[in-house]
Amino acid sequence: MRLVAENLSRSFGRRAFGPVSFRVEAGRVLGVAGENGSGKTTLLKVLAGLLRPSGGSTKIFLEGEGSAGGHDPRDVMASIGWCAPDLSLYGELTAEENLIFFEKVRGRVGGPALAKALLAEVGLPESSYSKKALGALSTGQRQRVKLAFATLHEPDLLLLDEPGANLDEAGRAIVQKVVASQRLRGITVIASNDPRDLALSDERVTLS
Amino acid sequence: MSAPRAAAGVFPAAIAVLRRELLAEWRTRVAVNSLFLFAFAVLVLVAYAVGPTRLSPEDRPTVNAVLLWVVLFFSAMTGLSRTFVHEEDAGTAAALRLSAPPPAVLLGKLLANVALLGAVTAFVVPLFVVLMGFEIRDLPLFVVLLLLGTFGLASASTFTAALVSKASAKGTLFAVLAIPLLLPPLVGAVLATRVAATEAELSAGLDFARLLVAYDGVVTTAAFLLFDAVWRE
Repeated sequence: MRLVAENLSRSFGRRAFGPVSFRVEAGRVLGVAGENGSGKTTLLKVLAGLLRPSGGSTKIFLEGEGSAGGHDPRDVMASIGWCAPDLSLYGELTAEENLIFFEKVRGRVGGPALAKALLAEVGLPESSYSKKALGALSTGQRQRVKLAFATLHEPDLLLLDEPGANLDEAGRAIVQKVVASQRLRGITVIASNDPRDLALSDERVTLS
Repeated sequence: MSAPRAAAGVFPAAIAVLRRELLAEWRTRVAVNSLFLFAFAVLVLVAYAVGPTRLSPEDRPTVNAVLLWVVLFFSAMTGLSRTFVHEEDAGTAAALRLSAPPPAVLLGKLLANVALLGAVTAFVVPLFVVLMGFEIRDLPLFVVLLLLGTFGLASASTFTAALVSKASAKGTLFAVLAIPLLLPPLVGAVLATRVAATEAELSAGLDFARLLVAYDGVVTTAAFLLFDAVWRE
């Protein structure tokens, strides 16, 4: 698997980021650094297929497909996991109900067992969320649920925007574990200002 | 990494979206409260202001048909836009975009709105019939018209809500876009309801029912054809 961005840029009237080019191979972690407002979040949304680029291209080459072609992120959204501060899950459902819902719409059949296991992996024992709507959980607990959501479908490309935000030390260890697991599965892109998040990356691009 | 993953089946995913919509509505009751309170308030106002005795027998079918569909129409305008607007406002739309096939999102939300408007219709119609002394002479035609009209209102409202969900002035835009789209079936439904109340020309009532079937089919098909571009852009 390979992620290739060439002269990628996005503007909203004025330039949000880019042009930027990079190439990431399977098992590697790309760090995206840059000051506030440099376009890190926008870049990750473009990589996720949630925004179209204004210029350049992103191609995701799947395993066994060689160097010809490549897929636009919008065509392989089922292979992408995304966790970001402006991602919200359904506040009126519990954490478990959220994960079960997203399993179902993705066509997966793990059911409550998979949801519980994933929540346990991100450090949320059943007693901490079973009776509470997601909206009633703490910000840090919600961040953990978002990490579980991003990895629910074992994505090939995992996009983490400020993954350590609002997390305590135990939570940061979970981010490290998530990134380590993703190395075995595909590519990780981490956008952050926090050196502890960026330390998980093998290579880095800096937006200005 | 493997070959592109197959998208989830549209129907099971749509059922999941429908169940989530209904569960969220059951827990928050935002749309239900606004729809039912609006419908009830208008019904009471109409009953007091017009009532069954202030209408001449010859005017009664026409005026009652208009008033009934006005209540249903404005109830639809009040509550049905929430389905997509709330996704954008709450920030959950991105998670849904990444996870669910677009047709499943539209189908699930359409079915949820049909269920919601169906419940309002089931609440409004018996009350309206009693309060206004509205005599229905052709009950099967009337029921068919209610089903077709409710589905048409829900279908057009759902798609319009998807169109306006990312705009800044959602409320105004929803009304501006939805009213012209909803007027044709509304006129058809009113005229056909008058026929069902008078039993004057059953064939004319059936013609209006066919018109509603055609409208529902065209609007729903157009919604499914266009939704992918609307939802992902």
